[in-house]
Amino acid sequence: MKYVCLVYLVEEEMSAMTKREADACTDESLAYDEALRKAGHLVAAHALQPVEAATTVRVRNGKLSTTDGPFAETKEQLGGFVLIEARDLNDAIQVAAKIPLARRGSIEVRPIKKLVR
Amino acid sequence: MKFMFMIYHDEKTLEALSEGEMQTLVDSALDYDDEIRRSGHYIVSNALQRARTARTIRVRGGKATTTDGPFAETKGQLGGFFLIEAKDMDEACAVAARFPPARLGIIEVRPVRELQHS
Repeated sequence: MKYVCLVYLVEEEMSAMTKREADACTDESLAYDEALRKAGHLVAAHALQPVEAATTVRVRNGKLSTTDGPFAETKEQLGGFVLIEARDLNDAIQVAAKIPLARRGSIEVRPIKKLVR
Repeated sequence: MKFMFMIYHDEKTLEALSEGEMQTLVDSALDYDDEIRRSGHYIVSNALQRARTARTIRVRGGKATTTDGPFAETKGQLGGFFLIEAKDMDEACAVAARFPPARLGIIEVRPVRELQHS
């Protein structure tokens, strides 16, 4: 079964890190992606640019409107995701707890819904 | 360049749809998947189960704590996501606007950050 691990972080804390700390954090994250790939858990993983790079799109009565910034103003911001294949929710939680950024932020784990025609 | 679409909608709006209306929405979402696959934009996409099925995990001092429910309580709930390839933000937003369920919710479009080993 597929699960998405949504990584929420306080962007200000992340940007306050020294280059060395940020590099170590990136290296550790990439190493974990690699470990998940080898273990057959990894489907896709990506970091996101900060929320100020977001654009929010809405379509109402066929009319498109866009606004700058993220949809949800939250204390912590979505900083990336890891899409995994896991046996069940407990297995997915085990995987999520080892995401290096779980020590700095929060990881939301949610099962994927298969859409069927 | 890679972009992520985060689809937010009010789950109550979706739950109020009849079975037929819901199936029409699902079919239109799957048609859209096919369409952006053909146009070369598609990388991966997934719908998510309801926010109440989520668990949130934190690790502090080597100890993991798990709580039920999503991390963020928002007016709209994250219902799915797409990862796409587009030339720039304008093209990404134009692709996002074609997603049929955008009529019911909103789509946050965010560029991906490529991580590189130091």
